[in-house]
Amino acid sequence: MKVHKLFQKTLFGIFALFGFIGLSTSVLCIYTVDTHLSEEYVSNSRDIAKTIADASVDILLNRDLAVLQSLIDQFVEIQGIKYVYITDETGEFLAHTFVPGIPEEILSGDPRGTATVERSLPGMGDFVEVGSPILAGVAGAVHVGMDTSLIALKIQRAIGQQVYLICIVFVAGVFAALWLVNLAAKPLGELLGFAAALARSREREGGGEGKAEDGAAGERLLARDDELGQLARLFLYFSEAARPAGRGGGAVPARSSDQAESSEGTGFAGGAGAADVPAGSGS
Amino acid sequence: MLTRRSLIGYGMAGGLAALRPWRKAEAASPDGSGVTDTEIVLGMSAAFSGPSRGLGIELYRGAAAYFEHVNRQGGVHGRRIVLKTYDDGYQPDPSVRNTMTLMLQDQVFLLFGYVGTPTVTRVLPMLKKFQDRGMYLFFPFTGAQPQREPPYGEFAFNLRASYLQETAGLVDNFVGVGRRRIAVFYQADAYGRSGWAGVRAALRGHGERMAGEATYRRGSKFTGTMRRQVEILKASRPDAVICIGAYAACAAFARDAVDLGLRVPLANLSFVGSENLLKLLTDGRRDAAAARPYTDLLVNSQVVPSYEDTFIPAVREYRELMARYDPRPPADLVKEPYTPFAHSFVSLEGFLDAKLMVEVLRRLGGEPARSDLERAVFTVRDFDLGVIERVSFTPGRRQGLDRVYYTVVDHGRFVTLIDWKARFS
Repeated sequence: MKVHKLFQKTLFGIFALFGFIGLSTSVLCIYTVDTHLSEEYVSNSRDIAKTIADASVDILLNRDLAVLQSLIDQFVEIQGIKYVYITDETGEFLAHTFVPGIPEEILSGDPRGTATVERSLPGMGDFVEVGSPILAGVAGAVHVGMDTSLIALKIQRAIGQQVYLICIVFVAGVFAALWLVNLAAKPLGELLGFAAALARSREREGGGEGKAEDGAAGERLLARDDELGQLARLFLYFSEAARPAGRGGGAVPARSSDQAESSEGTGFAGGAGAADVPAGSGS
Repeated sequence: MLTRRSLIGYGMAGGLAALRPWRKAEAASPDGSGVTDTEIVLGMSAAFSGPSRGLGIELYRGAAAYFEHVNRQGGVHGRRIVLKTYDDGYQPDPSVRNTMTLMLQDQVFLLFGYVGTPTVTRVLPMLKKFQDRGMYLFFPFTGAQPQREPPYGEFAFNLRASYLQETAGLVDNFVGVGRRRIAVFYQADAYGRSGWAGVRAALRGHGERMAGEATYRRGSKFTGTMRRQVEILKASRPDAVICIGAYAACAAFARDAVDLGLRVPLANLSFVGSENLLKLLTDGRRDAAAARPYTDLLVNSQVVPSYEDTFIPAVREYRELMARYDPRPPADLVKEPYTPFAHSFVSLEGFLDAKLMVEVLRRLGGEPARSDLERAVFTVRDFDLGVIERVSFTPGRRQGLDRVYYTVVDHGRFVTLIDWKARFS
């Protein structure tokens, strides 16, 4: 599909606009999804940590650690929770889900702290870790590690879906733009041909050649009631005006009487063999 | 690998399955009591598949030998004992589902011979939930505390010593021979934590702390690597390592420990399945000398006496009945190759479980009812099961045996350890 020079910038503008919309929407989407999911994850993790902490009190005080382990093992089955560990009030690890062992980064941290921290554990990934005190901290603390790669995956999915939609809209938009551009470009081409025919007829100073070469297209053009039709009639007017006196009749492409009437809308008075100077044209 | 022996075994199992008098898949008893005029149905969920299937299979075989013997003698008050079995693969969720089926659909009389801590720990709340049915779990193959303590202890009866007793014995003996830096290799679940807690408590009694710890995932296979775990424990410079796991993972750990130069005693609890452990460590070795480095530092605690000790009456009976009936694993549950052992600690435990179970059923009388079970169990006082110690149950004591035995590998088999100092100091 040929793109006329006149519309290349327009098409480029459309592409640029689409790109900007796509990029800005994606950035906004990333930010929104990331923020909301992160907040939701941290919130959920806190709830889970609190649930374990509440359930742990009785177990820690009255029962075997195997029960505690069984409890946290069930929570690790929840999607997104990658590890859970429970420490006593002295910081000793009482139960955890790490394999093959407790990572050095966690061992060297403050196991009694319950602040939310971001951790990067070698071989395991990146995590948001939240804590919850057991019995106001006097019986220890529960720590839950949520896998941030799951958040990243959800962001990727959200963006992927958005990009997919934008791509479809973009391709449809490109085809629509090309079609519309060509819709506008076709009469322009005809106008150009009409003008060229007029020029050639002036060169030969013969009447009717222009009509002969471009008769049908010229007729269509002059019959249009839009700007292109007006331009065609203007070209015709100037062509007739520039014709030496006494050679006016018959050299102009044929126009019907109603075409002549319709050209009044341009502000010009024109008719077969007559090319009046438009009022106020100043020429 | 599918050996000729195992293939023959499967063929025989298929043929015998239809004839097995101790296992029938009839519908539930009409009144839901698990008892008919001719049968008493017991329900069992255990590992018959996966890397720990040897435990369920051997426990079943030992129990089946005794039940078969009793059934051929006319059963208990004229009723045959039927053991309805399901496979849980040593996983908690299938175990819970199986228990639901056994209790609600099959309506068995009682639950018997469950295998594993992570499974039993999850099943116990169901017994409490359905306590109006009066269902009890008898003699699970685990030494964990949850079925020995409130709030679920009242729904279970144990025969074996606990993990606390096993780990305390191991720690005491290691410390006694000067090995005070003790590390723990354990399964990352309730079973591992139970043993870990036992070691921790025992070390505290000696004023020590755990030298190091490493974990593995339940279901790990012998073909997997435990090198990272060995490296972690090696860095802690232990004098001994206590392993709380199943045979496949513990054998893999022992293999990698030797290969990486961690030459310290490796202790295993009774749950490990000693014969399967030894088989994995020695199979494929050139000769006994090539296998020795992998086995000479093993020390396994047991909750039943050695099946080699024929001075013990129950051991003699066990060997005789195992030889006479040679029970095969349930053919419909065991899909993977497995070659049963002629004798094993696990099957001996299953045998003793069944023997005591039959005694309890006898004490229930001619009209057995679940509501009378607890009372019947508490009548067991100073009962001679045929092992070294006598069995007693009271409302405050729901565990029959307390003794822990220690075994080491000698000439390719586990034998009772007499002198810790000579072996490990």
